This record gives sequence, structure tokens and C-alpha cells, in this order.
Amino acid sequence: MKRILLLICAALIITNANAQLKKIDIIATGLTCSMCSNAIYKQLQSIDGVNKVEIDLNKNLFTVILKDEHNLSPKDFKDKVEKAGFFIGSMVLYVDYSNLLIDDGKKDGIYIFIDSKQQTLNGERQLKVLDKGYVTAKEYKKLLKAYTKYASYATNNENDFHIKLIQ
Amino acid sequence: MRVAFFLFVTLLIHCKTKGQELFVMTEPASNMPAGSIGFRTMNSFMFNKSNNLNYHLMPEIMWGINQKWMVHLQSFQSNRITSGLDLEGGSFYAKYRFYSNDELHKHFRLATYGRVSLNRADIHQEEIETMGHNSGGEIGIVATQLVNKLAINTSVSYEKAIDNTSKNKFPIEQSNNATNYTLSFGRLMFPKVYKDFKQTNINLMIEFLGQTLNQNGKSNLDVVPSIQFIIRSRARIDLAYRKELYSNMVRTAPNGFLVKFEYIFFNVTK
Repeated sequence: MKRILLLICAALIITNANAQLKKIDIIATGLTCSMCSNAIYKQLQSIDGVNKVEIDLNKNLFTVILKDEHNLSPKDFKDKVEKAGFFIGSMVLYVDYSNLLIDDGKKDGIYIFIDSKQQTLNGERQLKVLDKGYVTAKEYKKLLKAYTKYASYATNNENDFHIKLIQ
Repeated sequence: MRVAFFLFVTLLIHCKTKGQELFVMTEPASNMPAGSIGFRTMNSFMFNKSNNLNYHLMPEIMWGINQKWMVHLQSFQSNRITSGLDLEGGSFYAKYRFYSNDELHKHFRLATYGRVSLNRADIHQEEIETMGHNSGGEIGIVATQLVNKLAINTSVSYEKAIDNTSKNKFPIEQSNNATNYTLSFGRLMFPKVYKDFKQTNINLMIEFLGQTLNQNGKSNLDVVPSIQFIIRSRARIDLAYRKELYSNMVRTAPNGFLVKFEYIFFNVTK
């Protein structure tokens, strides 16, 4: 049993080392003015592990650049945007990979790859988070129908994230 | 006046910029950011029937408790009785946002709110106003829709007045409760394209405020056009003019200018 646990831990460490979240693009919804954007900006900036937040006020786009060492998940950013009184319309993760073998439906740590072919990821890749609360409510309804083959998608477990490779 | 009003409304409807909902007279269904503290003063310069100026100073402290709840604490001062400023009362206001449907370029939100006020001033009009005139309470529901870059806000509330003090009792012959309704429109006029947070935002707004006294059916309707400056994305200056459009109830000073200042400190509490 101990051996299995050790193996799992080792596997987790290896997986984490294979993928590092460097940057996140967040598009917030329901904004009406720069005062609102400022509220989100201040919330995102207050997160430990955030190096810098860049904003495109016309697109309501917040680019969050992360420090090398952090333990952040997409939920940390979602909670902050919602604290400011708004919601996430789109979240794209910029992850640095080294030799990570993925496959459709495969879980890597807290992330589950969907709509993906079997491949090995290397270098910086962009991934869109597709869970409820990370896309618009309308988009989520569509995705829920499209992703019935992934049993975990409809469960809305807040601690794992369904991601799709977009670049 | 009518031409100016028509032009103002036309301008609001035709400008293709972002909608705004930080209204001067009415609170939107959206809340201030969780953990932020805001300071606000409403200065109203209202002309009474003998053309004397009544000055009301209503400073307010606001707190966004979380994304759903926010509260205000406000005090009321005026020069109506003496030449100096007298503290006449205060109020506590709370708002709960219970529904949000946000999409990329629009949102619809609903909130419910309530206010309890104490006031020791004499009761000198039929209009019920727990914000600065009457002791009592108000409970209401507000809806805010942002559609095609125009922000529209509407609210309905029930307001009840009680005796201000044992000396200043609520007149028994008057209706002590009322239904209020508001309809507000707002537009961002400047900047056309955002560059940074330091740019001053200029908003044009128009609000309609109505009240019907439930026990005798008397009512009034006011219009409040305003211009708003948002400075460095954290301070607000609103300049407005309140004009009575219709009334068949006794009101002391319905017309006048309003100047409102607001400053927000973000992330003060967790």
C-alpha cells in the first residue's frame, strides 16, 4: 500500500514538473466601466504568486503573469473575479510543458484534457478552461451537451479542470 | 427646457458607447467589489417654494461585505431650520444581489434592498423620503440590464414613514406609506477607446423618479439628468439637476442641484 502511495506521489511530482502554469488570460463579463475593471485588477493583483497583471480595458482582458514558484489553480482567479462582482467569460492558460504525454480524457494532476488527440506536449501551449464558471452560461449549456462522453465534466467538481488545447 | 431634455434623451439613445449603471439617484442591482470601502457625500441644493435654498449634506460610508451583500451607513444634515448645518438623522441601507446573468457584452442582475432611517426634523411635506426627511423604512427590488451598450435600471419599492419624534409626529391626515418607482438610463460618452485606468470617464445619465402615496393616490414624477466624471477609476463626481415633472402632493423643495462625490478604497477587508 505504502509503495503504491509513494508511486502515486512520485507520479504527481513528475507530472507537476512536466507542466508549469506561466500566464493566464481572463476575459471578464458584465463590465460597464473602468471602475469595474479596476476592481478586478486590484483583486487579481492581491493574489500571492502573481507577478504582474496587464489589462486591455477595451476587451475586458486581464493577462495575469505568474511568478516561477506558485501553487495556484484556475479557481483562485475565478474566486477573485467573482469577489469583484463579475464573472469569467473565458480563461486561457499558458502552460510550459516538457515531454508530457496526453490523451483524450486523460487526467494530469488537477487537469483533464478533453477534445484532445494523443500527443506529447513540449514548450508553451495555450489551453482553454471549459468548466462551469470559466465560460459564459450560454457556452456552458452547449458544452454540457457536447461533452456527455466525459463523465467528469457534468459533475462540476470545483477542484479539477477540463482543458482543451487551443494552440 | 423641453428641447434640451429631448436632445439629452436622443443623445443618450444614439451614442454607441458603453453603458453605465453607477447612477446618481438610484443604486443598481450590481454591488460594489467585495472588501472595498467607499466614501460618498451627496450635496443637494434644493429651492423651496419661496425660492430659498435648502442645503442637505448626506455623507455615507459603504462596504462591500462579499459579492452578494453590501451595506451603507449615512447621516443627514441640513440648514432648513437654522442657518448652520443641523444633524437631523441617519440611515442604514443593505442590498443583496440574488441573480446575475452575465454574458460577454451584456448582463442582467436583480437585487433586493432595504433602508431603515431615523430623523428628528419636522415633517413638512406629503412626500415620503426616508433618505433625509422621514423616520421609517423602505424595501424594494431593483433590476439592471446592460443591453446594446446601454445600461437600464428600474426599481420598485415600498416606503413607510413613522413619527419622527414625539414632537414631530407623522401627520395623521397624510398617507404614511408610498410606492416608489424609478427608471434610469446611462451612457459612457468618453473615452471612446480606453487606454488606461487614469483616463477620466464621462457618463451621461437620465433618471425618472416617481412616488404614489398608497392611502390617497397622490403622486409625483421627477426627472434627473446628470453628468458624471469617473477619475482614475476610483473617484466619482456627479452633477445633476432634479426637476419636478408632475405632482399633486405637497412638496417643500422638489427642484434643485445635486453634487455627489465618491471615493473607493479597494481590498480593504478580506
